Amino acid sequence: MVYKRLAKIVPYVTLVVVALPFLTMYVGFFMRAFGEKMTLGIIPERWSLYNFRFLWQPIAWGLEQTTMWTAFGNTVFFAAASGLIVTTICMLAGYALSRIEFRGKTFFLVLQLILHAVPGPILLIGIFFLLLYIGILHRIPGVALARAALEIPLGIWMAKGFFDGIPWDVERSAMIDGGTRFQVWYKIFLPLVKPGIAAVFIWGFLFAWHDFIYVYTLLPGTVKLMSTLIQSLLATEVIDYGYLAAMSLIYSIPPLGLFIFLQRILLKVPIFGGKGAA
Amino acid sequence: MGPSVSLVFLFYFIPVILTFLIAFTAMDRTLSWRFIGLGNFSRLLGIGARDPLIPRILVNTIVYTLGALPVTIIGGLLISVLSMRVRSGVGLFFRAVFFIPRAIPPVVYGFLWAWSFEGTRYGLFNAIRAALGLPVVQWLIRYPMVIVILANGFLGISLAMLVFSAAIATIPQDLTRAAEVDGASEGQVVRYVILPLLKWPILTMTVWHLMSFLNSYVYIMLITGGGPYYATEVWSLYAYHAAFTQYRYGYGASLTALLVVVNVVLLLFVLKAFGMRRMLARGKIEV
Repeated sequence: MVYKRLAKIVPYVTLVVVALPFLTMYVGFFMRAFGEKMTLGIIPERWSLYNFRFLWQPIAWGLEQTTMWTAFGNTVFFAAASGLIVTTICMLAGYALSRIEFRGKTFFLVLQLILHAVPGPILLIGIFFLLLYIGILHRIPGVALARAALEIPLGIWMAKGFFDGIPWDVERSAMIDGGTRFQVWYKIFLPLVKPGIAAVFIWGFLFAWHDFIYVYTLLPGTVKLMSTLIQSLLATEVIDYGYLAAMSLIYSIPPLGLFIFLQRILLKVPIFGGKGAA
Repeated sequence: MGPSVSLVFLFYFIPVILTFLIAFTAMDRTLSWRFIGLGNFSRLLGIGARDPLIPRILVNTIVYTLGALPVTIIGGLLISVLSMRVRSGVGLFFRAVFFIPRAIPPVVYGFLWAWSFEGTRYGLFNAIRAALGLPVVQWLIRYPMVIVILANGFLGISLAMLVFSAAIATIPQDLTRAAEVDGASEGQVVRYVILPLLKWPILTMTVWHLMSFLNSYVYIMLITGGGPYYATEVWSLYAYHAAFTQYRYGYGASLTALLVVVNVVLLLFVLKAFGMRRMLARGKIEV
C-alpha cells in the first residue's frame, strides 16, 4: 500500500524538481521587475513601479536619448508589416495549393524540409548583400520583407488547411455564376476563411515581433526595436536588472496574449485536415 | 499565385547563391568583389595559412550539439511521459512552464539566463547563494558551455515535449490499461508500451534538433557572446562574427557555405535512411 502511494507521488516530485530552477528564474524575474531591494535573492522588500519609469521617462543611451515608445512603435510597425506580407502571400498561395492542380506542387511539400536545412539566420550574409543591392537595406520595410519570407513556407501550409475546409460546391456555384478565379477568391473565399487570415497574420506578426538577429544585423544601430533596445542596454557597463526586467516584461506581454488567442483559433478550425498533406 | 514562389525564391535561393559566390572572394568592408578562388577554404581546412581557431571551434560545435541533443530528447521524453501520467490539470501546468522558453522573445530568454547566472551577487542564483551564506560563483566563466547547452536544450525540450505529448495522447488507453491489468508497473508500461510507440517522433525530433543545434547561434550570442575567450564560439556563431563584427564577409560566407553543405548532406542522408514520406508526414506543428 505504502509502495503504491509512493509510486503515485514520484512523477509529481520529479516534475517539481526539474521545474524548480525554472520556476525560480521566472518568479525571480517577475519579482525583480516589481520590487526594490531584494532579500534572499528573490523576495523584494518593497513593491514599486519605479522600474517601469521608462514608460514616461526618456532612456539615456550613450550620449543619445531615446524613449521606449519609439522602439515600441518601430516594433509594432515591423511586426505588422511582416504579418501583412505573410498574410497576403500565404492566402494567395494557400488557395492555389488547395484548389488548383499545377506542376511543382509536391515541390512545395519538400521545400519546407529544405528550408529547415538552410535556416534564415545562416543566410544572413547572403540576405545582407541582397538587400544592399536592391537598395532596401537599413530600412524597416525592407527587413520586414526579408523576415516575412522566413514564415511563408509554414504559413502557406496553414492557409492551405483553412481553404481545404471549404466545400468545393461553394466555389463551383460561384464560377458557374460567372465569377473569375480572382473574384471567387476575393469575394467568396476570403470572408469564409477569416479565422485563417487572423491565424496567419498573428503567426507572421509574432515571429517578427520576437526577431532579434535580423533586426540587429540588417538595421542600423540608430533604429532601435524593442529587442535591440534591450540588448543594447544589456551591453552597457552598468546594468540595472530591475529596469531591464520591467522592460522585458512589457516587451513579452503582447506576444503572450497573441499566443493564447492564436491557440484558440487553431483549436477551432482543422488546420491540416483534408486531402493531401496529412 | 506566383508571388509566393518568387519571394521564397528571392529570399532563400538568391542568398544561398550569393553566399556561395562570396565564399570565393575576399569581400571585406569595401564590398568589392575580389575573387581569390579557394583561398578561404584552404585557410579553413588548414592548408597553407591556417586559421588557428578552427580546431577549437570544431570541438565546441561538436560538444555543444552532442550535449544539447540528449538534453532535448531525454528531457522532452521525461517531461512528456511524466506530465501525461499525472492529473491532467497538473500536467498542463508543467507543460505550460516548459513551453515558456518558446513563447517569450529570444532577447528576453537570453537576458533571463544571463541574469540568473550573473557572476556577481546581483545575479539570481548568486543572490540566493549569498543569502544562504555561500560564496558567489562565476557561472558564465567557469561553466559557460554547460549553461549554453542547458539554455538551448530547454528550448528544444519545449518543442520535443509538445510533439511527444501529442503522440502519447494518441495512444489508445486500452493498451496501457491492458498492460496494467497484466500487472505491469508504471515503469514497465512506459518502457514496453509507450516508448516503442514513440519511435518515429523520437527519430524525427532527433534529426530536427540535430540540425537546429548545428545552425543556431542566436541564443549563444545573447547569453555568452561566444566567450569567455572562444569557450562557447560554435561554427555558425564564428561565421556570423567573421562577417558582421570583423567585416570579413568572404571568410564568413565560406564558413557558412561549408555548414550549408553539411546540412544538405545530413538531410539527404536522413531522407535516404528514413524515407521521404515519413519525414513529410511530421513536423506540422513546428515552430
